[in-house]
Amino acid sequence: MPGAPPAAEPRRPRPAPRTPPVPQAGGADLRQKGEETMTEPERPRPGADRDSAAWWELVRGHRLAVQRCTGCALLRFPAREYCPACRSRSWEWQDSAGTGRVASWTVTHQPFHPAFAAEVPYTVLRVALDDGPGLHCWGRLAGAGPEVLAAGLPVEAVFTDAGPGLTLVDWRPAAPRR
Amino acid sequence: MGAPLRDAAAVAGVGYTPFGKDSGVSTTTLACEAILAALDDAGLGPEDVDGIATHRVGDSSPPWVVAPALGIEDQGWYLDQFGGGSVSHAVLGQAAMAIAAGVAETVVCYRAINARSEFRMGGQGRPPAGAFDLQYQAPYGLLAPAQHYALLARAHMLAYGTAHEHLGAVAVGQREKAAGNPRALKRAPITMEDYLASRWIAEPFRLLDCCLETDGACALVLTSAERARDLRRPPVNITAAAWGGGHSSYSGAGAGGIGADTTTSAAARLAPRLYAMAGLGPADVDVAELYDCFTWTVLVQLEDYGFCAKGEGGPYAASGALRIGGELPVNTHGGFLSEGYVHGINHAAEAVQQLRGDAGPRQVPGAEVALSTAQPGYVLAGTSALLLTAAR
Repeated sequence: MPGAPPAAEPRRPRPAPRTPPVPQAGGADLRQKGEETMTEPERPRPGADRDSAAWWELVRGHRLAVQRCTGCALLRFPAREYCPACRSRSWEWQDSAGTGRVASWTVTHQPFHPAFAAEVPYTVLRVALDDGPGLHCWGRLAGAGPEVLAAGLPVEAVFTDAGPGLTLVDWRPAAPRR
Repeated sequence: MGAPLRDAAAVAGVGYTPFGKDSGVSTTTLACEAILAALDDAGLGPEDVDGIATHRVGDSSPPWVVAPALGIEDQGWYLDQFGGGSVSHAVLGQAAMAIAAGVAETVVCYRAINARSEFRMGGQGRPPAGAFDLQYQAPYGLLAPAQHYALLARAHMLAYGTAHEHLGAVAVGQREKAAGNPRALKRAPITMEDYLASRWIAEPFRLLDCCLETDGACALVLTSAERARDLRRPPVNITAAAWGGGHSSYSGAGAGGIGADTTTSAAARLAPRLYAMAGLGPADVDVAELYDCFTWTVLVQLEDYGFCAKGEGGPYAASGALRIGGELPVNTHGGFLSEGYVHGINHAAEAVQQLRGDAGPRQVPGAEVALSTAQPGYVLAGTSALLLTAAR
């Protein structure tokens, strides 16, 4: 029958959810207990959802991964339970090569949120991962200024531990290969 | 035969509050004021209303507050649509569907926001949207619509050579048209030099690429096309409505990377459906009100609604074609960039006035067909749009 999903296969074990769980989105105050501060506004941290919590857990261990559908081999990101191509629920993590190409960037001058006011101007990239088509991540430009940016510039992931329980994926120009 | 929705409903009245930076009143009050003005324009009163519809993102008064506030205790049909600019015209399309289906006869559609004094887009005062894509963006300081659209605009510049001056042509041209609009918040002319000298917000966007965060409301009264003929104003038919288009989750989280190419908007998929329902094409459109949260969204919609070739939006805008006397007058009220930002519905209201022939000094002579569009999408998986025609 067209469109019928293959029978669900046993799922590969995934990293256990972090304890305590990542705060969920829905409130402006996402700071963690014990982190109260009167001087520095908290970086906004929309919570992981039940699809993505395991991905963030991998990032905390400095692993960048995408999902690989074991039904049709399509790679996907962000994390979702169903494959959008074959609708299989069977998948596994695949380590990303950690490299990509700059698809776009913006240099932010306006402090839209107090947590980032001291950081302007800062550069956010949209990066097309080398692992496959249609896989895009966002992150800060690291280790260089925006003057180096160009369409398709090769970049590589760097992990930035940004606070208790929060690791982010940033991008720096890739070292030239010999 | 066309679709049952085609020309079934008409816009019988439009109403506004004044636009400003601090309304000093609640969104309930704004909604009531705009609705009463729209009903008065139509020659109707609250007692004639049997449907009410809006959209919001946790920032405004819902139908179940606004309707009782106007003494409408039995809402025969209602819609409280979650969403921002991308659904602005979906609300109008669904109200037309309710009328076409006979569920309601006279529906008021409104959008009321204190988008400057209470809830700034992407900023303080606004509850964060659900996690989804935001969790991969916000921690990097990628929060505000200006930043997201900056990424899309930059990709278009890289792919097609779209220039800063092309973006500037939209800003300068819309200000020129706003001079003829007494509602417009910004009417003083600007030059390309002014544009290029305005400060950076999120490159490639300058201040003058960004719409005006506005306190205000706007409302439309929809009723059956048949009934509209007997009312005070020349009716304007909703000839076609369409929504969807997908292609918006610019993470590319789809089969084969749907949404990966951000240089084309959701409008490219929606437009053929919209034109087909109306039996019209781009060449038939006399005036277009294109969602302009930022200058760039005008350029991509010029392409995706078929007014110029892909990648040619910038040169087309810079050619003068978008002026009142040009080939395709666009955003005749000055748009969000100069009139004010009511999240989409004020584009439809302007289109109605153009087709009634009462747009004053900014009137497009003989306008009979108008396109009015919603945010072309980077979130909420789509856009929405109407084709409106003068029911003469």
